[in-house]
Amino acid sequence: MTPRVSLVGVTFTYPGADRAALAGVTLDIGAGEIVVVAGAAGAGASTLLLVATGLAPRLVGGTLAGQRAIGARRCGIVFARPWTQLTGLCSTVRDEVAFGPASYGLPRETVLAAAERAMQRLGIAHLAARDPAHLSGGELQRVVVASALALEPDLLALDDPAAELDPEAADALYAMLPQLGRAGTAILIATPDLGRATAVATRAVQLEQGRIVRDGSPAEVEA
Amino acid sequence: MIGYVTGRSPLHRAHPYTTLALAGAVLLAAFAMTEPRTVWLLVLAAAALAAVGGVLRSSVRTALLLSLPIWALLFVLYALLGADPRVAFGPLSLSSPGIARALVLGGRVTAIVLSFLTALATTSPHRLVEAMTARGVPFGRTFLLASTLTILPRMRERAAQILEAQQCRGLRLGGSVLARLRALGPLALPLILGALAEVDEQVLALDVRGAAAGARRTAVDPPPDSQIQRALRWSLLLLVTAAYAWKFWSMRG
Repeated sequence: MTPRVSLVGVTFTYPGADRAALAGVTLDIGAGEIVVVAGAAGAGASTLLLVATGLAPRLVGGTLAGQRAIGARRCGIVFARPWTQLTGLCSTVRDEVAFGPASYGLPRETVLAAAERAMQRLGIAHLAARDPAHLSGGELQRVVVASALALEPDLLALDDPAAELDPEAADALYAMLPQLGRAGTAILIATPDLGRATAVATRAVQLEQGRIVRDGSPAEVEA
Repeated sequence: MIGYVTGRSPLHRAHPYTTLALAGAVLLAAFAMTEPRTVWLLVLAAAALAAVGGVLRSSVRTALLLSLPIWALLFVLYALLGADPRVAFGPLSLSSPGIARALVLGGRVTAIVLSFLTALATTSPHRLVEAMTARGVPFGRTFLLASTLTILPRMRERAAQILEAQQCRGLRLGGSVLARLRALGPLALPLILGALAEVDEQVLALDVRGAAAGARRTAVDPPPDSQIQRALRWSLLLLVTAAYAWKFWSMRG
């Protein structure tokens, strides 16, 4: 089966940087895998997510060397700060979540059904008519995750997704991931919250200064 | 106050194109009118529009604040320094044609600013985006327009948050003009840098959500339009065209 993303000897350097953020990274992520990326701040975990989803260097700039093949039909990404990921154009949570499917010109009923499913999944159906601008950080982050899921991505990248969530909501978010994995979504998580992430991950890689220094089971990397 | 204010007025409920057409008609009509009397009738029409939208007080107040420097400049340029004949106004000797010219130019500015403030206050950016999406306008254009409409309220909100945070860290806002100017640095720098950083992330988030997919977007919640509103928009176009025709006909005559 084609991997959702395949990186072979990938080196990525941000524009104007004198040191590569990723250096010689080789990584295959298959359908249904939940891979947690561990590493200290600046190790390159967030960059790995941008490269794996194709956002770097396309939108970020910089240079990429090595081979990258993105087999995923659609990628989703969630960053730590939810308010930066809103469109700023939608007056209700339903419209915000529906933004992705609507962008692809799907019929209105399909768009609304996809939004409804994603909201149900995140437990935010009761917020559907609320203005995203008036939600708490935790509620907003669930809206952002639902917005990413509404597109039913094959590869979902989560960059410290629980940073704005209370412990209960963070647990709920991570508990949902295995179900997505079983449905075939490959998930890549960069987070310092290894406790929660490794509990659901099927694999873990550790980065140091942009290089993969360990790649194995979550227990191995956590040790 | 500049930006959308929630409400249930007829202007709030109107199709966004109708509200914008009304503001656009005031803008075009202002330049078609050359007499102080007609220009000030237009100012009254713009004020009536604000009243219909339920934003009369706030729009008039902001329009006057924005127009005041222009009024001051027009007074000096035309009324004080204008051509003869002159009329005595207390201790001042003012140019009679200059006063008329200042009233026309100032009235135009006031009418235009007032009508656009009303349109901004009564047009929900979301409804405007949906209306444009329903008409097949590419997302890039709708995003640009809606972002422009929402940038001031968003910046104001963010500035208030930064101000609170900086005050908690000991920033003092009172005192002399120099002290107040010095306080601008800790406010402006995080405001601008924060906005730039957020734009970066927003671009990435919108891209993966298909903003650049190139497909014709689906309007999820398009605002209803009606025959009456369409007729009103066409009538406004005809009225403005007639006003210009009248203007050029009068000039030739």
